[in-house]
Amino acid sequence: MNPQKVTCKEVTDHICKSLGEDLDSPRCLAIKEHLNSCPDCQNYFTSIEKTIDFYKKYNLELPKESHDKLMDLLNLTDE
Amino acid sequence: MNEKELIERAKNGDKSALAKLVKEQEKTIYNFAFKICRNPEQAENIMQETFLSMVKSLHQFDGNSKLTTWLYRIVTNHCLMAYRKKKNQFLSFDDEEIAAEHNISNDWSAIPSNVIENNELKDILDKAISKLAPYYRIVFILRDVNGYSTEETGKITNLSVPAVKSRLHRARAFLRNEINEAFKK
Repeated sequence: MNPQKVTCKEVTDHICKSLGEDLDSPRCLAIKEHLNSCPDCQNYFTSIEKTIDFYKKYNLELPKESHDKLMDLLNLTDE
Repeated sequence: MNEKELIERAKNGDKSALAKLVKEQEKTIYNFAFKICRNPEQAENIMQETFLSMVKSLHQFDGNSKLTTWLYRIVTNHCLMAYRKKKNQFLSFDDEEIAAEHNISNDWSAIPSNVIENNELKDILDKAISKLAPYYRIVFILRDVNGYSTEETGKITNLSVPAVKSRLHRARAFLRNEINEAFKK
């Protein structure tokens, strides 16, 4: 397979299989190049990135009562 | 005092050191449990079970991994146990009652717009993730969200490296399909 000619389907399949691995392989470099010029793949890639970003940043505060209950349960005190 | 010293002191019965360790980790563990089970009450129970297990087994912690990694292993087990016990009680973020009670929609508005540009996209992503079975969600969160390597994720979940890769691949493929389908509507 010619690493310089990549279709959108291959890009999405490849990203699904090995995102974050072998980033410097010729195939990955070709994919990065493709991503720069293909709006469809950019949209897909962005949506996954946003999913991950969302999950990273979406954190709840631990309610004070929950903290207090936990400390009680463990027989510990706040100092 | 660093984590290693706190752990040593806690192992020797120093309650103040143990309290510090718990306070350093409680929010992380609560949020992980919440992202998996999507129910604040269950997340609280799972957090409690996790720290009870931690206190019980701290003497077995060898310090070869970070305490957080070890706790992720414990909380993962408790999440899976809770899931097996109460399959139908693992809720989605889009459960209206829970969203209202915890102001989830308000929390969303605090996220910078470059992270989530609109509510429609947020709903699509969130619904897609809520459909993932817990084991897939756990692998996705540990690997993609928390940034653990495939090997570390395997150790935490007690899965082989190929099993982690396969679950991650399937989770991403599932998310891709769900997102694509939603955009077609």
